[in-house]
Amino acid sequence: MKRILSIFAWLIVAFLGASALGAIAIHRGEPLNAMWFVVAALGCYLVAFRLYSAFVAAKLLALDDTRATPAERHDDGRDFVPTNKWVLFGHHFAAIAGPGPLVGPTLAAQFGYLPGTIWLIAGAAFGGCVQDFVILFCSIRRDGKSLGQMAREEVSERGGFIAQLAVLAIMVILLAVIALVVVNALKSSPWATFTLAMTIPIAILLGLYLRFVRPGRVLEASIMGVALVIFVVVAGQWVADSPYWSHVFTLSGLSLTAAIVIYGYSASALPVWLLLAPRDYLSAFIKAGAIFSLAAGILLVRPQVLMPPLTRFIDGTGPVFAGKIFPFCFITIACGAVSGFHSLISSGTTPKMILREGHARLIGYGAMLLESFVGIMAMVAACAMTPGVYFAINSPPSIVGATSDAGAATISSWGYPLQAHTMTNLAHAVGEITLWNRAGGAPSLAVGMAQIFSNTLGGPRLLSIWYHFAIMFEALFILTVLDAGTRVGRFMVQELGGRIWAPLGRRGWMPGILLSSAVIVAMWGYFLYQGVIDPLGGINSLWPLFGIGNQLLAAVALVVATTILLKMGRLRWIWVTLAPTAALVLVTMTASYQKIFDPNPLIGFLSGANARAAQIAAGKIAAEKIVETNRLIFNLRLDAAVTAIFAGMVLVLVVEAIFQWYTILRRRGEAVLHESPYIATRWAKDFSGAPHDTVVGAAIGDD
Amino acid sequence: MRKAAKHTKRFLRRFWRGLREWCGDAAYESYLRSKASHGASCRILSQAEFYVEQLNRRYSRPNRCC
Repeated sequence: MKRILSIFAWLIVAFLGASALGAIAIHRGEPLNAMWFVVAALGCYLVAFRLYSAFVAAKLLALDDTRATPAERHDDGRDFVPTNKWVLFGHHFAAIAGPGPLVGPTLAAQFGYLPGTIWLIAGAAFGGCVQDFVILFCSIRRDGKSLGQMAREEVSERGGFIAQLAVLAIMVILLAVIALVVVNALKSSPWATFTLAMTIPIAILLGLYLRFVRPGRVLEASIMGVALVIFVVVAGQWVADSPYWSHVFTLSGLSLTAAIVIYGYSASALPVWLLLAPRDYLSAFIKAGAIFSLAAGILLVRPQVLMPPLTRFIDGTGPVFAGKIFPFCFITIACGAVSGFHSLISSGTTPKMILREGHARLIGYGAMLLESFVGIMAMVAACAMTPGVYFAINSPPSIVGATSDAGAATISSWGYPLQAHTMTNLAHAVGEITLWNRAGGAPSLAVGMAQIFSNTLGGPRLLSIWYHFAIMFEALFILTVLDAGTRVGRFMVQELGGRIWAPLGRRGWMPGILLSSAVIVAMWGYFLYQGVIDPLGGINSLWPLFGIGNQLLAAVALVVATTILLKMGRLRWIWVTLAPTAALVLVTMTASYQKIFDPNPLIGFLSGANARAAQIAAGKIAAEKIVETNRLIFNLRLDAAVTAIFAGMVLVLVVEAIFQWYTILRRRGEAVLHESPYIATRWAKDFSGAPHDTVVGAAIGDD
Repeated sequence: MRKAAKHTKRFLRRFWRGLREWCGDAAYESYLRSKASHGASCRILSQAEFYVEQLNRRYSRPNRCC
């Protein structure tokens, strides 16, 4: 009876999810309510988790709860810490949830809500969640080894080296593009700049408190820090109202670039307890709070989605970024559906803390579903504003026009009516000088969030506070990724440098720290600078480059996972990882080819460079602009080279892996699996983590 | 009524414990517990030493994503 009721309940969930998704897909005319998106996403996620993840766990991975995990075998209270599954779920989610699922769907909204929504749901269920889950499983079975180590052992030595290089290269582009999002959010905004600048002394204060006053008391320090951050969000209004301070904190794109580069270098070279870690604590709490508030806001306000399901820009002529739905919707959404970077977390901290193999399903698959839901909320927030406003915020002046009247006329001519004064009034309401041409996704998402929040609490009076709270939230955790990423990048540079000159590889050697920090910051700093001076706003070229890199890394992770599963003899179900691998390779290779060779100068890097070179040759560029144009030409060719390197590295790894697969399937060589030997768990079946008031030994069954 | 209060109290206690573990507030306690249950062979770090050592380890590998 219980089983019949359960089946009936799941049938209702599946019916609701499918109906809502169907309604979103076929609805035309009147605006849809956001609740359709929430019901569609939750219904699909629940069914995917209940059925597909259970199938993957049972058939493909054959998770074994009797097997001791690395946390049990190596429990040292430091890296290997047995952790309750819900706590670890929170840890893992906090680590994987970055700015990508917020910015990507916001940018992809230029195609309309439909393509992005479908890819967020389907891509996560069949691609991103599978990748996170399978890599977590592979790493658990290998004592928590990293993706690079697994690639080296299971695919080939060269494959491992390529994976390591790919991670570094992709990290450089990632750091540049997220820094660019911050620059575009803070440009000419004294309120937002002041708020974000103040988070640095607040973090240092927290760092000193945690180091010298109450070591390790993270919770109390974070509560104080969050209170101070909320205070500076409010105080930012006074700064914006003061002519002197407003002038001090009104910075251009280039000044902000310099500030962020100096910040990144400092965070990488300074002791981690002083700035980086306390900022991360602040960011984690504010991130969790903002995401839950956004979910609650959407449920309470139930806004209308004003963006049409498909816009005219599905033909590839979009102002936010150029290119057709296939492949650019997929690489723009990136992290909300599939993220290669998650494989670094799934093969990093999480496998060392997991209590049982069975928990990998909730943590690996489930946390990614939640991240995808964050992407759905970002899509709803972006699509809840009128399309004209969305395009005004996200389009560069070189496409819509430099003045507000010209911009309004251009956007209206696309079929999305907009009055110039609408933008002026909106900017005034959110406490900004202007909202025109703020490409990058952050300001438009902040406007969407602020409208939802202010309809929940405070009304239009608090719109400006909510807008700056949203900007602070986005910028704060983007900078957390930036400083943590710069530091990890520094270690990668040191490791690679150590192969050339041994002292560089020593982690504690100060000249090595300073030099490697400078190298990594110079690398992403250059791409950031390139984005800031780009007349198309930078996001246009850098976000696709980041998306390609990220999805290629996901393809690398899935190739490694497929190799391991083939070695384990799971040929029958190998399509579970092989299908998303093939899809990702197809999407990223097509995108790479188009970004390099497409004859449209707005899409192809080389044709863009050639078009500008032709303009110089024809004398169409003013003499004072020639140096700048030559720099743009160089940057476009550099972007083409970087794209080719990404694609080339992955192709080499794919070929290596295919050779391995052929050898395994033809049984031409022995498939050597580098798995840790089976050791039975000593923990009782109901052991769910070490509670604070009990000694671990007391909870362990000595059976 | 008393039963509901008991459940609420238990839930809040679990939530608080989970929150402390999630944010790292309870990391030193876990470390001491691990040392106690495995029989510490090396010197046990003070809370300040453990805090710095743990941060240095955590931020030397990818721990935040895009």
